[in-house]
Amino acid sequence: MAQVVLSSVSKTFHGGTRAVSDLDLEIANGELMVLVGPSGCGKTTTLRMTAGLEDVTEGEIRIGDRVVNSLDPRRRDVAMVFQNYALYPHMSVYDNLAFPLRARRLPKAEIRRRVERTAELLGLGALLKRKPRALSGGQRQRVAMGRAIVREPQVFLMDEPLSNLDAELRAQLRAEIAGLQRELEVTTMYVTHDQLEAMTMGTRIAVLREGVLQQEGPPQQLYDEPGNVFVARFIGSPTMNLLRGHIDRDGDTLHCILGGERLPLAASVSAGALGGYAGADVAVGIRPEHLGERSAEHGDRARLRGRVRFVELLGAERLVHLELPAEPVVPPEALASAGDAEEADVERSPRAAQPTAALVTARFDAHAGVDAGELAEVALRTDRLHFFDLTTRRAIR
Amino acid sequence: MGLSRYTRGTLARELVLILVAIVYCLPFYLLVAIALETTAQTFKTPLSFPWPPHFGNFSEAWSTGGDAGLGQALQASLVITLSSVAALVVLGSLCAYAIARRSGHLSPFVYMTFVLGIILPFQLAIIPLYVAMRQVGLVGNYVGMIVLNVGLLMPLTVFLYTGFIRSLPRDYEEAARVDGAGLLRTYARVVFPLLRPITGTVAVLLGVVVWNDFFIALVFLSGSRYQTLPVALYSFASAYVTQWNLIFAGVVISIAPILAFYVFAQRQLIRGFSGAVKG
Repeated sequence: MAQVVLSSVSKTFHGGTRAVSDLDLEIANGELMVLVGPSGCGKTTTLRMTAGLEDVTEGEIRIGDRVVNSLDPRRRDVAMVFQNYALYPHMSVYDNLAFPLRARRLPKAEIRRRVERTAELLGLGALLKRKPRALSGGQRQRVAMGRAIVREPQVFLMDEPLSNLDAELRAQLRAEIAGLQRELEVTTMYVTHDQLEAMTMGTRIAVLREGVLQQEGPPQQLYDEPGNVFVARFIGSPTMNLLRGHIDRDGDTLHCILGGERLPLAASVSAGALGGYAGADVAVGIRPEHLGERSAEHGDRARLRGRVRFVELLGAERLVHLELPAEPVVPPEALASAGDAEEADVERSPRAAQPTAALVTARFDAHAGVDAGELAEVALRTDRLHFFDLTTRRAIR
Repeated sequence: MGLSRYTRGTLARELVLILVAIVYCLPFYLLVAIALETTAQTFKTPLSFPWPPHFGNFSEAWSTGGDAGLGQALQASLVITLSSVAALVVLGSLCAYAIARRSGHLSPFVYMTFVLGIILPFQLAIIPLYVAMRQVGLVGNYVGMIVLNVGLLMPLTVFLYTGFIRSLPRDYEEAARVDGAGLLRTYARVVFPLLRPITGTVAVLLGVVVWNDFFIALVFLSGSRYQTLPVALYSFASAYVTQWNLIFAGVVISIAPILAFYVFAQRQLIRGFSGAVKG
C-alpha cells in the first residue's frame, strides 16, 4: 500500500493532442479515488501514465516514495484491471491468476496457495480449469479482479472495469469491488464515465474535462457544492436544472428573479459573494429534488409555475418536465460533453434553445396527480439553489 | 425449410459436387495407378488400373532413388523442412513483433525492405549467392540449406506475421507488462500463443514450399551426400529413359508425410486459415 501523488502531470501525444493538462492529484493510502468524466477527458490516459503504459510528458508521478516516471510498468508494483479484462485467452483461469506470480518467480507452492486463496475470496474455485471464453461476463470480470488481487500490489488501477456488463451485474459488482477494496485497503485509482459508479464507489472523486481537473472531493461534497457548471451538470442524475436568473438587492435581502417570480433568498445566501452580483444576471442551478410538488407541509416555499411537457414515472417517483418562462443556461460545450452521460439532455436541447422557455426537471411523488399539458405549480427550496457566474462558469460562494 | 427437403435441385447440386470431387481425385488415381504398373504397362495402358498391382516399384524406388535411396532423401527433406520452418516461425514472428509494435520511423522502413524482398526474384542473385555461400562453407550441407531457406522465405513470413500482429489488441501485452513480465516473457507466454492461427498458416505455406523445392536443393546440394526428395526423384529421369512408374512410386512416398499431416491436422489447419483470436 502506498499513496499516489501526481504533480503537474501533463500528457501530449504525437501530433500535438493534449490529453492531460497540469494535473495535480493526491490519492491517500488505502483510498479509492474515482476519475470520472466524459470520453476524451484524459482519465484513462492518466491511469495509463500511472501504470507506466504511457510516457509522462511533463510533471511527476510518485507511488509511495518513489518517482516512477521512467520506471518500467513491471517495477511499479501496480496491478491493472482492463476495460475488456485482457484475460490471456489461451490460459486457464488458474494460469491467468498465476501469471503475475510466475513472472515474479515465486515458488510453486506459494503460487498455488495464493491462487487458491484468491479464487476462494472471489468465488472462482470451481472455474479454475476453464478458459476465459467459457466464462460469463461477470466471471471474467472476477478473474480480472483476481489477477490484480493475487499480486498484493501497492496500487490497483481500474479502467472502466464494469462498462461491459449489464446493469444488474454492474450494480452487484460495484458493491463487491468497493467492499473488496475496503477490506484489502489497497490504494485504488478507478476510471469510469458513469457518475453513478463514481458517486457510489469513490472515497473521493476527481472530475476531469478535456484533460483539466474540474474539481475533486468526497462524492457528497461534489454533489452539494459543485465548483462549476460542468461538475454541477455532470454529477447527479437527472442533471441539475440551469436557468438564467437576475439578482436584485432589496435592503439586506437578495432576491432572485427567475421564471417570472421574484424569490427572496435566505440570509445565509445573501451574505455571501452573491451580493456582488446584485443587479446582474447569474446562472441558477436547481437540483430536481429541490423542485417538487407543492403541498401543505411546505406551503411557505417559493413557487414556480409552468406547463408540464411530459412526465416520466419511475415507480418510486415521478420526473415532471415543465416548461418555465426562463432562459436556459446550456453552454454548447457542456451540452456536447453532457451528451455522453445524459442522452436525454441532447434530445431536449432544440426545444430548450428557445430563449424564453426552459425545460426543467422536478421530482414528484409517484402518486402525484400531474399530467402532460397541465399548468403546474412547483415548490422551490431557495436555500438549496446554486449560483454560477455566467462568464467564468464558476460557482459563486 | 428448403434445406430439409431433398429436391431435384439438391440432387443436381450433389451430382455437380461429385463430378468436381472426381476431377480433383483424378491425379491421385493416376499417381497410384501408374505407381503400381510395370514399365511395359506405363506405355501400353497407362490409365487403366493394373491387375495384379506391381508393388515392387515402391521397394525399387526406395532403394535406387537418388544417390543413396529415397530413405536418405526423405530424411534430408524432413530435416531441412522442419528446421527451416521452425527457424522461420521463431525468427519471423519475433521480427514482425518488433516491426508491428515499435513506434518510430525505422519500423516502416524495415517492413518495406521485407516487402521488397517478396517481390524481387532471388534467381537474379543466384551466382553471387552461390559463390558467397561456398566461401563460408554453406554449400552441400544442411545448415547451408536451412540458412538459405530462412533467408529467402523470411520476407513472406514477416509480412504475414506483421499483418496479424497489427490486428492483435495490445491489451494482452500491456496486461502482461503490468503483471510483471519482461519483454521476452511477454512474447513467449502471451504473444506467441496468440499467434497460433497465423503460425499454422505460415508453417503449412512455407513447409510446402521448402518440401517441394527443387531448384535450390539441386544447386546448393549437388555433389553432396544430401539430396532432398524432389532431386532424388529426378534421378529416375534421364536423357534416354524415364522410368515413370518409379517416379510415380517415389512421388507417392514423398507426398505421404504431407498427406498424413494434412489428414491429422485438418481441423487445426482450417481453423488457422479462417481463425482469429477469440477472447
